[in-house]
Amino acid sequence: MKQIHESYVTGFVTIEITGHQPELFFQHCIDHGVFAWNIKKNSATTCQGNIRLYDIKKIKQLRRNSRYKIKFTDKKGLPFLWRRMLRIKEILFALGLSIVLIVILSNILWRVTVTGVTQEIETKIDAQLEHYGIRPGRLLFTMDAPAIIQQKLLQDIPELLWVGIEQKGTTFAIEGIEKIIIEEKKNASPQNLVATKKGVITYMFVASGSPVVTVNDYVEPGDLLVSGVIGQTNEDETNSPNKQYVAAEGTIRAETWYEMDVTIPLEQQVETLTGNQQHKYYLDLNWQQIPIWGFSKITYDQTHEEISEHQLKFFQWNLPIKIIKSTVNEKNIQQVTRTVDEAIEIGITQARADLLLELGQDAEILSNKILHQSIDNGKVKLNLFMIVEEDIMEAEPITQGD
Amino acid sequence: MKKWHRYLPIFSKYMALPTDVMLDLPRITIIGQIHIYIENHQGIAVFSDTELTVKATKGSIQILGNSFVIKMMYPEEILLEGKIDTVKYIETNV
Repeated sequence: MKQIHESYVTGFVTIEITGHQPELFFQHCIDHGVFAWNIKKNSATTCQGNIRLYDIKKIKQLRRNSRYKIKFTDKKGLPFLWRRMLRIKEILFALGLSIVLIVILSNILWRVTVTGVTQEIETKIDAQLEHYGIRPGRLLFTMDAPAIIQQKLLQDIPELLWVGIEQKGTTFAIEGIEKIIIEEKKNASPQNLVATKKGVITYMFVASGSPVVTVNDYVEPGDLLVSGVIGQTNEDETNSPNKQYVAAEGTIRAETWYEMDVTIPLEQQVETLTGNQQHKYYLDLNWQQIPIWGFSKITYDQTHEEISEHQLKFFQWNLPIKIIKSTVNEKNIQQVTRTVDEAIEIGITQARADLLLELGQDAEILSNKILHQSIDNGKVKLNLFMIVEEDIMEAEPITQGD
Repeated sequence: MKKWHRYLPIFSKYMALPTDVMLDLPRITIIGQIHIYIENHQGIAVFSDTELTVKATKGSIQILGNSFVIKMMYPEEILLEGKIDTVKYIETNV
């Protein structure tokens, strides 16, 4: 029986023998090593049976020396099935192509809708999206993730307070909220200007109000700088008739002092990207990643890999397939050794940058001095003294006790 | 030689050896009425819907019945399927 199953794989044919005593032809075949089965006699002169496909040649040879006639009545098995499949290959090809097309079309951006903003901002958003390359017809998995686009939009369009991008199938729904820019109203209520830090005043400009201090005065936090009470000549004359309350305004800058500690290692490993990169693409089938692009071997010694995933879709359903793009950057690790002088220089620049970041753009560092310096465990420790000129005033409303 | 052959049946009888191997005789297995399996035959002589005659060492074996199909056929084995009525030995004097 085993041989019959095997012959389905290799294929078999049913033959019909016509002649005098046709069963003897089968006997003849078997004597010559041709295996036959399911032999049936149809009539006195015809007999049918199955033989294997690759025995046909032998059968034809055997027939040549006899008076029998052979007719092939049926053929079965994989080789015939395969031939039939080939005959409908156009249909199979079309089927495959349509599935591929649907997958591609399901992964294309079809529409971008912008809601919640004025026409003007909408045009701006459209222009920005165009600039990023997000336009209908783009393949979804070649674009950045919505969260990244969101960030970019917020950065590039300052009028936007918030923007949300939701990917609904093949549509990008963008919802924005505009910033309502309110012009700062002039504070008309009476106020004084007071100091926030201790320092020596270096520059004064009073637009309104009466100055209490002068340049080169030392002030402490909370000290009155410019008073909002005018028309008062004497401290005692609290109820002077020409006393007026105004909002004191002006610019007062003072010299202030800071002490800072910085530590700079003498030896440091610095990682830099050389800018050389290779892209690799994978198909992620949940259980395995199949590389589909970028087969070349990575020749970099040190690498930094970035991975971004894109989900493939079929209509609105997520296929269990992801496209993974991996960017391999070449990394350079440098061992930097500094001299003490270099370390100090770096420390000072770093300290200055830190301080400016803390104080804001108005501040100006006038000078710095190293108060103390020590080398410990391969690190230079610095104690710095900084002299800064900055705006020290703060408005303080005057409460009129009546 | 011929004289020696004459004692073979007796020899196998007392030695409890399989007779079909010893004597080159056909071995026939019948399963109910539906299958018949003949080993050690020497080719078919007649085959039709109702009859199968296979040659054996001495004479031939005739099987009668109806709707016969040869399920398998090897040089020395044959499996017949159908409804079996009779199995008959036809002796011919060689």
